[in-house]
Amino acid sequence: MKFDVIVIGGGLAGMTAAEALQSAGLKCAVIAEGLSLHNAPRNAFRAAGGTLLAGDRVTGGDFDGDRLVRVHTEKLGDVALEAGAFVLATGKYFSKGIVADMDKVYEPLFGLDVEYDADRSGWFDPSFAAPQRFLEFGVKAEDGRALKDGKPLANVYPAGEVLAGICGAQGDATETIRKSGLDAADAIRRAR
Amino acid sequence: MQERNISANNFEQCQKCSICETVCPVMANNPAYAGPKRSGPDGERYRLKNGIFFEDSLKYCLNCKRCEVACPSGVRVADLIQQARIDYGRKLPKLRDTMLASTDQVGPLASAFAPIANFSLGLAPVKGVMHLALGVDRHRTLPKYASETFVRWFKKNAEDKQAQYSKHISYYHGCYANYNYPQLGKDFVAVMNAFGYGVHLIEGERCCGVAKIANGMIEAATRDARTNVDLFRESVKAGREIVTVSTTCTMTLLEEYPTLLKVGNDQVRDHIHLVERFLWKAIASGEVKPVWKEDWKARAAYHCPCHQERLGLGIFTMELMKMIPGMELTELESNCCGIAGTYGFKKENYKVSQAIGKPLFDDIAAAAPEFVVCECETCKWQIEMSTGVPVKNPVSILADALDLDKTAILNKPTK
Repeated sequence: MKFDVIVIGGGLAGMTAAEALQSAGLKCAVIAEGLSLHNAPRNAFRAAGGTLLAGDRVTGGDFDGDRLVRVHTEKLGDVALEAGAFVLATGKYFSKGIVADMDKVYEPLFGLDVEYDADRSGWFDPSFAAPQRFLEFGVKAEDGRALKDGKPLANVYPAGEVLAGICGAQGDATETIRKSGLDAADAIRRAR
Repeated sequence: MQERNISANNFEQCQKCSICETVCPVMANNPAYAGPKRSGPDGERYRLKNGIFFEDSLKYCLNCKRCEVACPSGVRVADLIQQARIDYGRKLPKLRDTMLASTDQVGPLASAFAPIANFSLGLAPVKGVMHLALGVDRHRTLPKYASETFVRWFKKNAEDKQAQYSKHISYYHGCYANYNYPQLGKDFVAVMNAFGYGVHLIEGERCCGVAKIANGMIEAATRDARTNVDLFRESVKAGREIVTVSTTCTMTLLEEYPTLLKVGNDQVRDHIHLVERFLWKAIASGEVKPVWKEDWKARAAYHCPCHQERLGLGIFTMELMKMIPGMELTELESNCCGIAGTYGFKKENYKVSQAIGKPLFDDIAAAAPEFVVCECETCKWQIEMSTGVPVKNPVSILADALDLDKTAILNKPTK
C-alpha cells in the first residue's frame, strides 16, 4: 500500500507532522503503537482525511541504499507500507523509541546512530531531582535527517523525543516537541 | 532482577499509564465498573495471590478491546479480564445468557419456525415477558431469523456451479449470515464468483464461540474451536484458503483461540483472511479486475467496529471502498456502538449500551450519510435501531456496485 509519507509514532511530534503534511495535500499514514493523550492533532489529522493505524507496530523496514522504501507491521502481515518519506517519532525509553542496555543505547527499528555517553557512570545522577543525562540521549540527525553508520539517510526524518537533546520528562518541552514535528514536515515538503 | 515478561497477556509490561482508562467506553458510562487497568493488570496482581480478589464487576467489560489498541506496552488488558472471568467466575450462566450465546443451537430451531419466531418475538407482550422473566431488554428487537438458512440456499442454488472456477476458497459464513441474514452470504458468493473464485462451505463449521466466551460457556466454546481448527486444517490441505466476513468471528478465530481457549491455531492462522483484505490485495495486485457499474453513486460513512479496530485491518475496508468510482466515503470517529454482541441485549446493560453508543449516533446524524459502511453484524442492529440509518456490509456494497456480469467475463480464466 502506497503513501506519500508514513509517520511512525502517534504522539505529539508524530501527529503534528502528520497533520501538517496531510493538510498540505500529501497522503499520510500514522502507525501508532498505543494511543497518546494528544487528541487535538490526532483529530485534526483524521478530519483532514489521514489514515491512522492504531494499535499496530512497525516490525522492520527495507532499505535501498540510503532510502527507506517500505515498512512492515505486525497486523498488516504481508502487505507492506511504501512511502517516499518517513517520520520517525517513536519517543524515548517508555515507548521504546530508544532502548538502553547495560552498556549501550540503541534505536531498535532501523539501527540508527544514537548519541549517548560511552562512560555509563555519567548516564544518571543518583539525586532524583537533578538533571538526568540519560534523558538527553537520542537519535542523531543532520539537516533533519537521521544518521545511520555516520551518514544521513535520504528520507527518514526523526521528530520529537526520539531525537537527541529533546526530552519531555525534564521541564516542559511541549513546544519543542511540537516544533520538531513541524520541522520534519517542512523538511519533507522542501525535499519534494 | 527479572528482566523479561514471564506471565500471560504481557501483564508485567503494564506501566500504570492509564491510557486504557481514557478509551474505555464502559468506564465513562458505568460507575460500577472499575475500568480496564484496575480490572485487568492491577486486579491480576491480587488474583494471582488469591482468587477471592476476583470481582463480579468484571462482567461489565464488553470486551471491545479498545484498551488493547490504546496500550503503548502491548498488554492484553481485555484478555486479562476475560481470562479472570473464565478462571474465577463462580456463577453459572443464566438461562438467558445460554440462549443468547448458543447461536448455533438456537439458530436452526428459530429458522425452522422463522415466521412464528419473528412474529412473536416482535410482540409487545412477548417482549414484556422476556424483559421480566429472562432479562432481555424490552427496547431491543431481537434479530430476525431467516426461514431459509444460507447453507440451505447455497446447497439448493449455488453449490453445483462452483466446480467451473479455476480458483477456490472456503467460506466461513458464521452464524449471522447463516441464520439471520443469508443475503450477506448470497452477496459474498456473487462477488467471489464474479472475481473467478469458486466458493465452498466448510462442512460442519461451528460458531466461532465469541458469545459463549462472553457468557462463560468456556467448555462449549473450546469444543467448537477445536472442531473449527480441524476443519480449517482440512481446507488448507485441500488447497483452499479460508475467507471470513465477520470481523468478530475473525478476531475470535485468530486471537482468542490461542489466548483464551488455549486452542492452537498456528497451522491455519495465516490461511484465514478477512474478505476486505483478501479482495483489496487481489485487486491491488491485479490478480482480479473489477468492472464497476457506470451510474453507481453513494455518499456513505465508515464505522470501524471495535474488533476490526483490534484486528487493525480497517484500512483495507476503507481502501477497498475508495476503489469504487462513485463512492464518496467519510470515516467516522472511532467509537464503540455499545451493543457488544449479547451485552446490549441484557436488561441490566441497556442504558449503558445506549449511552456508550451516543457519540457515534451523534456523529452519524451529523454526517447524514445515505448509509453506514460496517463489517459487523451486531453494530448493524445497534446503529439501525438507534439512528434509523441503514448499515451495509462492504461485501453487499461490492455486490451492488460491481457490474457482476462484466466482471465475471473479465475474470474468466483464458485457456
